[in-house]
Amino acid sequence: MAERDLAKVAAVVGVGHSDWIGDHARVRAGGKPHDSNGYGAVAFREALADAGIDRSEIDGLIVGPTTSYERIGELLGLNVRWGGQADAMLGIIEACMAIRSGLAEVVALVYGNDQRSAAISYGGAEAMGGNMFLSYVYHAPWGFTSQGALYAMMFRRYMELEGLTEAELGEVAVAQRLAASKNPNALMRKPITVEDYLNSAYICEPLHLFDYCLINDGGVALIVAEAGRAKRMSARSVPIHGVGRSDLNAGATSLEPRLFDYYRPAQQQAAEQVFAMAGAGPSEMSALQVYDSFSCHIPLALEGYGYCRTGEAGRFMREHGISLAKGLPVNTSGGHLSESYMQGWNHQVEAVRQMRGECGARQVPDCRFVHYSSDVAGKAVSIIYGK
Amino acid sequence: MGLSQRVLTLYDQPMWDSIEQQRFALQHCDDCATVRYPPGPICPHCLSLAASWKPLSGRATILSWVVFHRQYFDDFPPPYNSVAVQIAEGPIVVSNLIGDEPDGSWIGAEVEFVYRRQGERMQHAVRLLRSGPVAGGSDQTAP
Ligand SMILES: [Zn+2]
Repeated sequence: MAERDLAKVAAVVGVGHSDWIGDHARVRAGGKPHDSNGYGAVAFREALADAGIDRSEIDGLIVGPTTSYERIGELLGLNVRWGGQADAMLGIIEACMAIRSGLAEVVALVYGNDQRSAAISYGGAEAMGGNMFLSYVYHAPWGFTSQGALYAMMFRRYMELEGLTEAELGEVAVAQRLAASKNPNALMRKPITVEDYLNSAYICEPLHLFDYCLINDGGVALIVAEAGRAKRMSARSVPIHGVGRSDLNAGATSLEPRLFDYYRPAQQQAAEQVFAMAGAGPSEMSALQVYDSFSCHIPLALEGYGYCRTGEAGRFMREHGISLAKGLPVNTSGGHLSESYMQGWNHQVEAVRQMRGECGARQVPDCRFVHYSSDVAGKAVSIIYGK
Repeated sequence: MGLSQRVLTLYDQPMWDSIEQQRFALQHCDDCATVRYPPGPICPHCLSLAASWKPLSGRATILSWVVFHRQYFDDFPPPYNSVAVQIAEGPIVVSNLIGDEPDGSWIGAEVEFVYRRQGERMQHAVRLLRSGPVAGGSDQTAP
């Protein structure tokens, strides 16, 4: 397996994103700074400048969901020898695979989303995503709609059976807001307390407003290059040490992997793969970034990836800690809850910046590895960034 | 905002016809007896294409519940609940609990299917039979 794996095959040489704060203010004032293509284009310029390379070096292109692969390639003037469409997590794995196989050497990954200004709806009669995930629309006749409700149903069961309290879940929103308060790019920077959390309104009980991600416009771009070339390109390149993936599809619409297993088997398999490839385990991770459309992703990831024992996430969050102030730093940018909802893309930017030591007041000292995980709808994907 | 709507594929129509007649039925695999939900063209357990529509016992157990405090549909003003129940025949079905609510946790409560009008359509809801103990623990798994 060793000579076929993807460890240190590729490295991130450039990261970039749009002006989340400025654009959010403009959108809230009724403006429309860009459409999805425009946000992606802005982010690509930033990533290229961050890498310090010329566009002509790029020979691969991955475009995120919401925009057309060809149109982004056209707008950015990119003729490439390899390309495709993928989300943030799978895009990075596919870039590593393409680089490993020699199909490309320098891959640009571009994502843009005008979900706020376009009033994209994640619940109700116009809920998006039903063509991809039947569970997003199938239970609507009983008023059961929105991805938040799916996670509320899942996590209610977890809370009841494992005894995790609302106050313990509140540790997630509080920790991530603390991180965001030290992040000049974060949209929500005012610190909150567990009491503020408990006093906030329920959206879909047991989840509160502060358990939900933001909805904002923006774009993110990454440039991933073959490891040797990455070193020559940039002194700040961040190698990818491991990737992992495991998908649960059986029973997805009837919610079986959610309600019986909390997606744990997928996370455990992805964990086994990613930690073996990186040659390091949970105790060696300096920080953890978790795809957090909802706060409850964090306790489930802590258990699924072996940061704590099954059923102990509540106590782990309360006693060990998951913040920059105490314990394992989780979602050190503020994540989707408090920085920006860029569907996993901003977590990659944060992981790279933490590894480079560029995070200022929120920098995790002596960063050796940063672990990223997502479990969207039971599709577990994991990436480890290192030195 | 809009009204809540059904997903009505070729395979869903017979189920909704059975609900209209207040006899909730699902496909039972002719080869391995697995019950399909949502209805579909193939048995995910044994890949058989053969199935028969049979009425359900109507008994189920609550696995989890939520209460909506935000409005998403014109025909569902909050607050209202949605419940995930495991039917006696196996699959998990989402419905609404009407009538009495369990004291404390709803998990493990035994319910039966009843029927009510939601706008133009008939659909199922569940009603409490009796509340049960909270089942299992961290090693709770699929049957
Ligand atoms: Zn079968």
